[in-house]
Amino acid sequence: MAQKRIKKELVDFGKDPPTNCSAGPVGDDLFHWQATIMGPTDSPYYRGVFFLTINFPTDYPFKPPKVAFTTRIYHPNINNNGSICLDILRGQWSPALTISKVLLSICSLLTDPNPDDPLVPEIARLYKQDREKYFKVAKEWTEKYAQ
Amino acid sequence: MDQNADASFDPSKNYDEDTLAQQREIEKEIAASQAMVSQLHTFDEIVEEYSQEDAIYRQKIEDLKSRFKNLRKTRGDGNCFYRAFGFAYLEKLLNDGKEYKRFLDIAQKSKDELIGLGFPQFTLEDFHDTFMDVVKMVENPGTVDGLFQAFNDAGLSDYFVVYLRLLVSGHLQQNADSYVYFIDGERSVKEFCSQEVEPMGKESDHIHIVSLTKALQIAICVEYMDREGEKCNSFKFNPFESLADDTDTAPAFTLLYRPGHYDILYPL
Repeated sequence: MAQKRIKKELVDFGKDPPTNCSAGPVGDDLFHWQATIMGPTDSPYYRGVFFLTINFPTDYPFKPPKVAFTTRIYHPNINNNGSICLDILRGQWSPALTISKVLLSICSLLTDPNPDDPLVPEIARLYKQDREKYFKVAKEWTEKYAQ
Repeated sequence: MDQNADASFDPSKNYDEDTLAQQREIEKEIAASQAMVSQLHTFDEIVEEYSQEDAIYRQKIEDLKSRFKNLRKTRGDGNCFYRAFGFAYLEKLLNDGKEYKRFLDIAQKSKDELIGLGFPQFTLEDFHDTFMDVVKMVENPGTVDGLFQAFNDAGLSDYFVVYLRLLVSGHLQQNADSYVYFIDGERSVKEFCSQEVEPMGKESDHIHIVSLTKALQIAICVEYMDREGEKCNSFKFNPFESLADDTDTAPAFTLLYRPGHYDILYPL
């Protein structure tokens, strides 16, 4: 079941890839993909290219895919290990969602962090208290790690 | 301080992962011990689930026994309402060709309506196709055993559940103005749908039942078994009652609600 669905997603993704994103299997393993996201223009991640890994569970699409950044990024909802705090990757995953929707949601999260549900409290605090400084640090990290 | 490290917050650790792993273990245990849809049980078997001291529940089982012959259990995985609804309804359709035709029509049309609401087309089509495959198992020669096999095959049963969830979500969103006041917390109908309807394993409440019976135009009855009163409370969900030609539609089937869980009841 999972394999059939993942194959369909791959075809669908190829036909209509979301803006600024790419994704596909690493080698022959359909359950293990790599994705890239280009930093959105109105964010400190602009001009950065961020790599992510996507691992599909064997009971996909009933369980969410595991998605993590491999490129370091300074963001309230993404930690050192690349783990992402995003509702649709947790309790709000629905089998009707797709990798394409997930990547779009991650792009939105880059533009609009959610400091009230942070994975990295210090960054969330800075984001809330000194937006300019957050922007500066995030931009530095983008230049250092994602370009 | 170091010996307390386990109890302190470690910002580099993703606690969600631990919670998810633990949830998975619980799910596995439930899946190993409960069929998605069980064979028929008698109430004499069910009454043994309650201790001798539990007089209220034992009395209510007696009440059920005076009106119903059997019970079919569903897995307690948060999808029980949808699974019970689907199985009981298709089982009923095995003996009602006219109703089957009506339902087939609604089921077929529902796909485009949902795509129109913005659900991703290819996943929706995928779920709809499998949903229709299961529905068509009712056609000759449809058997209870065939449905039983299908509802215990995760690949079919879970796809069926997903589609029913999408139907509920679609109905709530199309009628958002009527439902917005019945949603708790400061959430829009759409938010409610993505938090409480569309994800697998999210339990169903009154609003989900109202919505599914209206979306599919099916009247059902639910027997509520709780600690109040001496008998179970029957509640009929009748999607036709607000129409002008209010006829007393017989419920297609009856479900049993025990706090947090739905099973299927079979009348005497």
